[in-house]
Amino acid sequence: MDLQYGRFEQILTQFLLKSIHIILDSRVPSTRPYSRCREVKKSDKWFNLALGDRPSALENLNFWHRNLTEPIIIDIILVQEPPNSSCGYSLLPTTSGLGTFTETVIERWVVQCEYLRTMTPQSSDVSYKKTYKKSIILLRSLFSMMRLLPAYKAFRKLSSTNQTCDFDINYKVSTFSVPFSRTEEELMKHYSFIPVDAQQGRFAISVTYRDNLSHFNLEASTSFPPEIITDYVGSPLTDPLRTFPSSLERRFHATPLLSRGMHSPSSVPFQRPHSWTSGLHRGVSSPQSQPLAGSPALYRASYEVSSVISDTYGRKVQDCKSPAHYEAASSNDSYQLSPPFSPSPSPSPPAYLTSGNPVQTRLRSESAPVSIPHPIVGRSSRYISPNSSDPNRNSLPPLSPRFTKHDSSSQESPSGTRSLRKPDSLRSAESSCGMTYLGQKVSRDAKDDSGRFSGLLSSSDSPRVGFSRSSSRLSFQDDLDECDFSCPFIVDDVDTSESQANQNLDLRKGSEASSQANSSVRKSQDAAVGALVHMLRTAPPLRLDCSSYASGFEKSELESIAGAGSGFVLPRKTSDALEELKAYSEMKELLLCKSGSITSRAGSKDETSSS
Amino acid sequence: MNCEVCQLKELVSLGPPEPRQEVEHFEVREVLRCILHTILFHRALGLVRPKDVDLELFDITYVQCGDVEHEKKIDEKIDHFIDRVEKHPNKKNQICLSFYEVKNKQATWFTNKVERHYWEQWYINLNTVQHPKTHSGKSHHSKVVVDPGETASEERNARRTALESSLREVLFQIIKFVNEKKDHVPPIPNLDGVSFPYEITISSSSDSAFGMDMLKRMLQTGHPTMLS
Repeated sequence: MDLQYGRFEQILTQFLLKSIHIILDSRVPSTRPYSRCREVKKSDKWFNLALGDRPSALENLNFWHRNLTEPIIIDIILVQEPPNSSCGYSLLPTTSGLGTFTETVIERWVVQCEYLRTMTPQSSDVSYKKTYKKSIILLRSLFSMMRLLPAYKAFRKLSSTNQTCDFDINYKVSTFSVPFSRTEEELMKHYSFIPVDAQQGRFAISVTYRDNLSHFNLEASTSFPPEIITDYVGSPLTDPLRTFPSSLERRFHATPLLSRGMHSPSSVPFQRPHSWTSGLHRGVSSPQSQPLAGSPALYRASYEVSSVISDTYGRKVQDCKSPAHYEAASSNDSYQLSPPFSPSPSPSPPAYLTSGNPVQTRLRSESAPVSIPHPIVGRSSRYISPNSSDPNRNSLPPLSPRFTKHDSSSQESPSGTRSLRKPDSLRSAESSCGMTYLGQKVSRDAKDDSGRFSGLLSSSDSPRVGFSRSSSRLSFQDDLDECDFSCPFIVDDVDTSESQANQNLDLRKGSEASSQANSSVRKSQDAAVGALVHMLRTAPPLRLDCSSYASGFEKSELESIAGAGSGFVLPRKTSDALEELKAYSEMKELLLCKSGSITSRAGSKDETSSS
Repeated sequence: MNCEVCQLKELVSLGPPEPRQEVEHFEVREVLRCILHTILFHRALGLVRPKDVDLELFDITYVQCGDVEHEKKIDEKIDHFIDRVEKHPNKKNQICLSFYEVKNKQATWFTNKVERHYWEQWYINLNTVQHPKTHSGKSHHSKVVVDPGETASEERNARRTALESSLREVLFQIIKFVNEKKDHVPPIPNLDGVSFPYEITISSSSDSAFGMDMLKRMLQTGHPTMLS
């Protein structure tokens, strides 16, 4: 009898574990293991249904679910931003310390062993073998049903690595639940699987689910909406040493289960002992929040659970950090301190891409060691302004330390090597427009980034204007027509060749008489444009590029300026301006001479004619 | 031992406008693969590693056992079914998936066959409707020329939507039946994947052997319980 009961208890425990595993695996992408090993583990063979690794939190089920008579309730929670939220992706801390999100329970699964008070002789004769066989069938039908209910579509959208979603799915496992309101119940349907007779009761699974999720507008887009991020790490305007944790902590202010319980009982719903939630349990907008209640002993139990769970979650987060290339080393502590913490609840790298957490994705993409410049949109007007020395100097965004360093620093950066050279070369060619930086983000391969950066790419139109105008300091409408850039670094072949030809001519004629200064100035400007374009395409080293740029500069002079290092840009612009001033003054003198000679000749003619 | 029989809800599929048009047969393939694999998944009680399969024509995901051999077997039967549909268009066709136990292996005096005891039968009723021919030329009633292509595609979409809804109902029906009837399932042999032998037979309403086939099975199985 004891043996029978022991087997029954074992089957029941495994039945509960398997049920929760099936439910979480089919609803919450974050609980899915990143990699599944082919060999089926012994623990996975239960009920002849190999699902792969269990979520680590399930390992603690025995710890807190001591009373097998208690039902296990799994709430599948849809997390969305409210539609009239003006803050967009930047989350402002509310009074509870969390962002403004709405959470809706879209499914509630109840898995339990219904203990029968009166043990009929028939039920006691049920052998554990029959119970086990029927449980296999029950779990198969549960597995199929998970794919037929409406929430499965939302799960698939979230799991897709090709799409980013404006929603997220969390879960909560507990031994109790707050009943649905009447309005909520009206929107939900109920399905109960036929229970499986067991020795001590019946294994039962039932679900209450939202039949229609269409009004949630669960959108999944293939790209991020265009967005200008002004405070990313590496921006010239921000502290270069700034790391992620400040924004991350603001976003993921998931306080530990224990502290929540002790200090802010009203902040989180369903905060009772014997329960755990996934990740960000904001609980702000949920109307079902209840104050915590329980004896100190229960609090202790929850603390123990939370500490155990925190380890698993913290570990999971840490493991996933390296693929995500997080530079926020100091944020580790915040992860470990906040169980059950799972960033956006997607600890696995692919899930980050699909999670509804744009900050997360944004941070991930920014974590590569590339100095990302400030976006240009909104600044183009500055670059169109005439390139007088001082104002133009101010119009440029303050260069990050990386950019002001020598070539070697730019070459060290991994993915942005090619594109980082370009800004340096542009500097050498006296680019006062600052349109050099956009290309770096284009070089990223992450699918989620490509859409996000499309917005930045589209801002290249104005820098294009700024580039051509500022580099010449004259009105070059013709040049605008010729140099039809769709992107700062995409150039027509025709333009390049023409500009190159001009540039070559310019080099030869650079030291000619001032009578040709006017045309040479114009040609040199064209040549400058062409040279810059050529440099952008070929990305030559700084020193070589200096020589190719010619606007009346001597080669040696260019080289000396190029070797100046951090002070390179400023003296060049001033010297360039001085040179042009000289050219203009020469022109003026020439014109005056000519006019003077003409007037003298005219005067002499008059004199002769008059006499 | 009883043989549990489940008559699944009839599905109406739009046949191809022209024979041998593989594009339209794809719909029939999808439907049959979905149903057959779903049933098999619930009856393959050996160790399985489930595999999710998304239908291409419908927004439905079903589960396979992940056994390549059985996948091929099912695809072959579906090919036979499609051949039959082409030979007998506009007929109600039926696929029967039967699970049996091998009862008596000993050869008797009169028969050498191994006796099969069917303990469960699933009848999939698929009605393939011939594609309505597009009307070429003008409409002789109205002045406005109605584009026949548009109406045909609209009709096709409506039928497909209806078929998807019916298919979903059939899957729910399978799950319900599988849950309600468990006592008749034999003990699970120590095998991986599909643990019980099965056979797939095809018949159509015009077939003279159709009735005989049914009668034969009824005699073999004893007291069938008809469920609808």
